[in-house]
Amino acid sequence: MHFLAPAGLAFAATIPVVVLFYLLKRKRVVKLVSSTMLWQRFLSETQASAPFQKLRKNWLLILQIILLALGVFALSRPYFAAKAKPAELRVIILDASASMQATDESPSRFEKARAEALKWVDSLAGSDQMVILLAGANAEVKQSATSEKASLRRALQACLCSDSPTRLLPALRMAESLVRDQKNAEVHLFSDGAAPELNDFESKDRPLPLIYHRVGKGSNNLGITGLDARANPEDARQRAVYANIGNFSTNSLETEVELLLDDRLLERRPLTIPAGEAAPQVFLATQSRDGVFTVRLTAKDDLAVDNQASIVSLLPKPVKVLLVTRGNRFLEKALRAAADMELAVAPNLTGAAAGFDFVVLDDVAPATWPQGNVLAIHVVNTNWLENVASVEGPPIVDWRTSHPLMRYAAFDNVQVKESYTAKTPSWAVSLADAPQASLILAGDLGRQRLVWIGFDILESNWPLRVSFPIFIANAVEWLNPANAKTSQLLVKAGEPFRLGLDRSETSAQVTLPGGQTRLVPIDPNASEFVFGDTAKQGVYRLRIGTNDMVFCVNLLDAAESNIKPRDELQLGKYTKIRATSMQRANMEVWRSFVGLALLVLLGEWWYYHRRTV
Amino acid sequence: MSSPLLTPELLRRLEQFQLLAARRAKSSAKGERRSRARGQSVEFADYRDYVPGDDFRYLDWNLYGRLERLFLKLYEEERELPVRIFLDASESMTFGEPRKFDFARQVAAAVGYVALSGFDRVSVIPFPELAAERRLQPAAASQPPERAARMAELAARGALRSVRGKRSAIQFFANLSALTAGGSGNLNQALRRGALEARQPGVAVLLSDFLDPAGYESGLSALVARGFQVDLVQILAPEELAPAAFGDLRLVDSETGAIQEVTFGRYRMKAYQQTVQNFLQRLREFCQTRGINFFTASSNTPLEELLLKQLRKAEVWG
Repeated sequence: MHFLAPAGLAFAATIPVVVLFYLLKRKRVVKLVSSTMLWQRFLSETQASAPFQKLRKNWLLILQIILLALGVFALSRPYFAAKAKPAELRVIILDASASMQATDESPSRFEKARAEALKWVDSLAGSDQMVILLAGANAEVKQSATSEKASLRRALQACLCSDSPTRLLPALRMAESLVRDQKNAEVHLFSDGAAPELNDFESKDRPLPLIYHRVGKGSNNLGITGLDARANPEDARQRAVYANIGNFSTNSLETEVELLLDDRLLERRPLTIPAGEAAPQVFLATQSRDGVFTVRLTAKDDLAVDNQASIVSLLPKPVKVLLVTRGNRFLEKALRAAADMELAVAPNLTGAAAGFDFVVLDDVAPATWPQGNVLAIHVVNTNWLENVASVEGPPIVDWRTSHPLMRYAAFDNVQVKESYTAKTPSWAVSLADAPQASLILAGDLGRQRLVWIGFDILESNWPLRVSFPIFIANAVEWLNPANAKTSQLLVKAGEPFRLGLDRSETSAQVTLPGGQTRLVPIDPNASEFVFGDTAKQGVYRLRIGTNDMVFCVNLLDAAESNIKPRDELQLGKYTKIRATSMQRANMEVWRSFVGLALLVLLGEWWYYHRRTV
Repeated sequence: MSSPLLTPELLRRLEQFQLLAARRAKSSAKGERRSRARGQSVEFADYRDYVPGDDFRYLDWNLYGRLERLFLKLYEEERELPVRIFLDASESMTFGEPRKFDFARQVAAAVGYVALSGFDRVSVIPFPELAAERRLQPAAASQPPERAARMAELAARGALRSVRGKRSAIQFFANLSALTAGGSGNLNQALRRGALEARQPGVAVLLSDFLDPAGYESGLSALVARGFQVDLVQILAPEELAPAAFGDLRLVDSETGAIQEVTFGRYRMKAYQQTVQNFLQRLREFCQTRGINFFTASSNTPLEELLLKQLRKAEVWG
């Protein structure tokens, strides 16, 4: 025999109470009367004259009947069938993204969603099973399929809300795989619907039986959606902190924006942002040492997590470049044009080029290939490339404008006399293509960042085009290890923090924004340190070997800051899922009946005593 | 007796009444009641032929003048009406507020006074008689005040056996006041005995609560059979009509000591009152079939209401 609610057996404790009631002896009051004759007649007339008597209005009787009825109701385990069909498997997806922290629902959207989900757990009928998925920074199975309500409740209670953007897609894919072979299956999504990437979701065979429970009602939110810190192009001694602040509510909102450097307030400016618009703000600040800039909004809105963002700002250092060339004035001039450039020119490279941030190899194959970043022009390194061939007069037919190296650099009207071409290797992307193969490649090979140009620029008209100095300036910036490091220090919540390792380390210690420390073991052979526990935004401190460094985790997601709950989810190209108003199904109500029965029992006892005393 | 049984005002009004007997008095003693017997009075009854030896004073000479025959005028003999008052003095009569026994004594006094005013003979028969064990109780006997009271009551009971004349009224009241109630009464036995003892039947007034487990039927039948005109006043205490005690009760019978356990609440009041009404109805029907005047009164009923209205309306007196 199985019990769905073994806790209900605790009600058996009331049986001795009832017995106790009946054990209590009734104390009769002795009274002398003139004659008991009338009483005897009365008793004989009312009781013993017939086996049945007329039913009198007796509250005790009524209460006992109600009591019995409630008990029987409870035993029969009544439930409301509601609208839901019985499902054999229910998959609960709990959205744990940053927007679920919004407080427009009390106490928060996430808590509301959790409470709703708990109701569905309560409504789970007999042998039906339930799976609980948490869609936070990652999709996580909190509870595999089970019909054990205690485990399901425990799993739901253990769910935590993250600061990361919504990643519903993996959770939905997971849910789809779970319900694929189930006939009666439902996927219940508890979310505010701020999930832009669902357009990519395509159901394999049949539509996903998704029921979308919308959580949230307001959209009162101001959020920082972009943050960057650079050298001020007009004054190199200053830093320009760029912040994009969006108003996602339906009203114009006022706030103050504060800029802090290492928790020291630098500037405060009042700001009024019209409804639905964004206000880019640029702060100029002098910085004497490396630090963390924090932009903070003081306005009180429904979502607090996007009211603050931090960024690590490292002081610019002169970039040291070794140009290995047999003489290239165009290239040298273009390199020297970059800011903070310390250029050394050498006809050949013999050593490891230590002490330089990157090496430019201009048509010179070195004896020893440098270990650092390299801009290689018209050289062939078979460790880098395969199937290198020489092509006469390749036309440049396409170039990738989205790459940082190609920013503002267009290859219109560039002719090349002769070039090496290579098949694009896995580590690189092609920046400029001839019909046969790639002419320019860029990418990260191990710890090295490489830019490879297949043709000798002096045998092309490229140096005469405006794109050449721009490309070189972009390349200097891209290849500068300091810049690469700075971009690594800004991580979106939920995404892993990666750091290239110069030498082998065995462990790293990370201090989370809350103050907890994590000791992360590192494989000594690993070339990269990866830290994945970035669900909470804030400033993380990392101690690795003897180095101390700081990295920042921010939300910086306009889609997530837009907390307006969506009535409709666009699932794939053609499917739209409307938010359901459906409540939990198969709600068992026997507990209420038992509670009522207990109350009636107490009332009966009270009434009985009041009547007789 | 601290307060008089009847107020002077009530006595004055009662003097106007005379007991109405449906039947002719059968007493042998002379009185003021018409009887079937022929005798000396002013009430003409009949004629009969003269026979030698008759008293000439009663010859109707006017008739002789017309018919030349001698007729003798006959007159009704006026005799007294024996009034017997059966007074229940059992323990159960001591209950009620005011006590049923006090009320019964007042009614008895009123009936007695009306009868005495009409030169009728009144006998008050309290029952039960003072029980032998009560009389001979050594503990009671050893205490002089107790003993004196008992002796006084015995004397009063004796004096109440036969009272006549309005002048005896004061003594009659005093003796009534000296009566006490107690012990277990047997209504049937008392009535049968009263019927047997009576030399002539007359008016029998029965004052009791009729709460006798043995019933009342044989006693009443005996009285009716003996030729009594029976007037019956049932006196019940207010708490017997509508009990004020609720809850889990262990009731003890004052006369028999019988114990009855009852759980009683307001919700059963109606049922109880129905029981009382059933009991009264049965008694009333019994009386109606035997020509008995039946009255029921709660001991807190105003005396005037019963005496001046109900009894008069039922032509017990007029």
